[in-house]
Amino acid sequence: MATIARSTRLWDIVTYAVLGLLAAFCLGPIAWTFLTSIKVDDDIVTKDMVYIPSRITFDHYVKIWTQSDYPTLVLNSVAVTAMTVAICLVAGTIAAYSFARFNYPGRSQLMLGYLVVRMFPAVLMIIPLFIVMRSIDLLDTKIGLALAYTSFLLPLFVWMMKGFFEAAPKELESAARIDGSTRLGAMVRIVVPIARNGLVATGVFVAIAAWNEFLFALMLTTSQGARTWPVGLQLMVGEFQLPWGMLAAGGMISIVPVVVVFAVVQRVMVAGITAGAVKG
Amino acid sequence: MAWLGDLSETRYWMYLLLVPSLVLILAVVLYPTIYGMQLSFREMRLNRPALGTGFVGLKHYLRLYADPVFWTALWNTAVWATAAIVLEFLLGLVAALALNRNLPGTKILGVLILLPYFLPNVVAGHMWSLLLDPRLGVINDILVRIGILETYKAWFADPATAMAAAILVEAWHGFPFFALLLLAGLKGIPSDLYKAADIDGAGWGAQLRLITLPMLKTVIAAAVILRVIGLVNSPDLLLILTNGGPGRATQVLSLYAFQAAYKDFNFGYAAALSVVMFVLLMLFASAYIRVARVNKD
Repeated sequence: MATIARSTRLWDIVTYAVLGLLAAFCLGPIAWTFLTSIKVDDDIVTKDMVYIPSRITFDHYVKIWTQSDYPTLVLNSVAVTAMTVAICLVAGTIAAYSFARFNYPGRSQLMLGYLVVRMFPAVLMIIPLFIVMRSIDLLDTKIGLALAYTSFLLPLFVWMMKGFFEAAPKELESAARIDGSTRLGAMVRIVVPIARNGLVATGVFVAIAAWNEFLFALMLTTSQGARTWPVGLQLMVGEFQLPWGMLAAGGMISIVPVVVVFAVVQRVMVAGITAGAVKG
Repeated sequence: MAWLGDLSETRYWMYLLLVPSLVLILAVVLYPTIYGMQLSFREMRLNRPALGTGFVGLKHYLRLYADPVFWTALWNTAVWATAAIVLEFLLGLVAALALNRNLPGTKILGVLILLPYFLPNVVAGHMWSLLLDPRLGVINDILVRIGILETYKAWFADPATAMAAAILVEAWHGFPFFALLLLAGLKGIPSDLYKAADIDGAGWGAQLRLITLPMLKTVIAAAVILRVIGLVNSPDLLLILTNGGPGRATQVLSLYAFQAAYKDFNFGYAAALSVVMFVLLMLFASAYIRVARVNKD
C-alpha cells in the first residue's frame, strides 16, 4: 500500500506540473500582450528586455481609440456579429429542431449535407461570393458579410444545437401536444425554453467565431462602412511606426469580450462543441 | 400566427423547418462553390478585363501542373497540417489525461487551457510575432539568458525555422480543441476497464495503449478530420505571421490561392487552386473515415 500511495502522490505532482506548464504556455502570450499594452514605448523598444514596466501607461488604449478608426471598426464588428447570430438563431434553431425531433425520408442525407458543407474551402467560396455580392451591391456591406459568415457558421450551429435538442426530455412536449398544443406551440413554448442554455452557448460560440473572423472580412469589405476590427488591426501594421503598443492594446480590447462571455458560458459551450463534433 | 400553427400540423412541417437554412446554404455555400468550380475553367482577371471571361478549358490546371510554386505549396501544406496535428494531438492528449484525474484546483486550469482556441487569429498572430520578434522578442531574451541561444534569432525570417515557428503558434491556438474533445472522450470510458487492468497487472503504458487510445478512436477520428479541414482551408495565421515567406518556405495551398485572388486578381487560377485543394481534402476525408471505420470493427 505504501508504494501505491507514493506512486499516486508522484502522479499528482506530475499532473499539477503538466497542467501548470500548459496553463503558462496558454496564458503567457496573453499576459505578455497585456504587459506590452501598458508599457511606454521606451520599455517596448529597448536593447535590454524590460520585464517589469518602469511605469504604467494607458496611452496606447487612448491612442488606438481616438487616433484611429478602431471604434468604428468595433461597432461594425458588433453589427455583423449580431446579424450573424440572429440569422443562425432563427434559421438554425428550427432546422436543428427538425433534425432532432422528427424522422423522415432524406433526414440523414440532409444532415450529412450540413456536415459536408463545412469542408468547402473558404477561398473557393470567397471568390464567387465577391463576384456575386459586387453585382447585387452586397459587397462591402455588413449584411453581406453576415450572410457570408452563415456559410460556415449556420451548419455548425445546426449540428451543435441538434445535440442540445436531443438531450432535452421529450415528455413535456408530449404533454403539451396532448393538451392540444400545435407542434409549433410545443416547440416555441416548451422545447426552446428547455434548451435555452444550449441556445445561449451555441449562440455565443457563433458570435465569437463571427467576431474573430478575418479572411472573409478582408476580402469582402473595402471601406470603413463595413470593415471589421480584425482587418483594421492588421492594416495598422503598415500604417503606424512601431505599432506594438497599439496592436497590443487593440488586441486586448477585442479579446476582452471574448474572454468574458467564454468565462460565463464555457461549461455548456464545451458540451455543445463536443456533441457537435463527435456525433458528426 | 394561427395559420403557422395549422401549418405545423401538416406532414411537411419538418421539411418546412429546414427551408430557411437550406435556402441560405444553397445561396452562400453551394451556389458559390459550383460557381467557383466552373470559374476554374474560365478566364477571369479583374485587373485585365480585356481578356474577357470565356472558357479556357484546362488552361489553369495545366499551368498549375507546371507551376513549381504549386508543388512547393502542396508539400508545405502536408508538412504544416501533419506537424500541427501531431503536436496538437500530443499536447491535447497530455492535457486531457491530466485534467481527467480531477485533482482539486485543476478545473480552473482546464478552463484557462481552453482559452487560446477562442482567441482571434489576428491577435494570436500579432502576439506571437512580438514574442518571437528578432529584436524585441521576449522568447529570444529568455533563450539567450538560459544559454540555449547565443544571440537573438529571427525565427520567421530564416527559412529553416519559419515553418516550425508557425507550427508552434498554430499548436498554441489549436491544441485546446483536442484537449476539449479528448477529455470528453476520456470521461466516457468506464472506470471498470482500468480496475480490471490493474488487477491483471497492466502498467500505465499498457493501459494507455490497450484501453485509452482504442476507446478514444471515434473522438480522435472526428477531431483529426475537423482540424485537418481547418488547417488546410484557412490561410489566416500564415497570412499574418509570414505571408508565405521567407521565399516560399511557408507558402501553403490556401494562402497561394488567396494571393492569386487577392493580390493578382487572377480569379480563374485561384479557383483552380481551391478546387484541387478541395478534391484532395475530400479524398483525404473519405480515406480517413474508411480507415477509422475498418479499425473499429
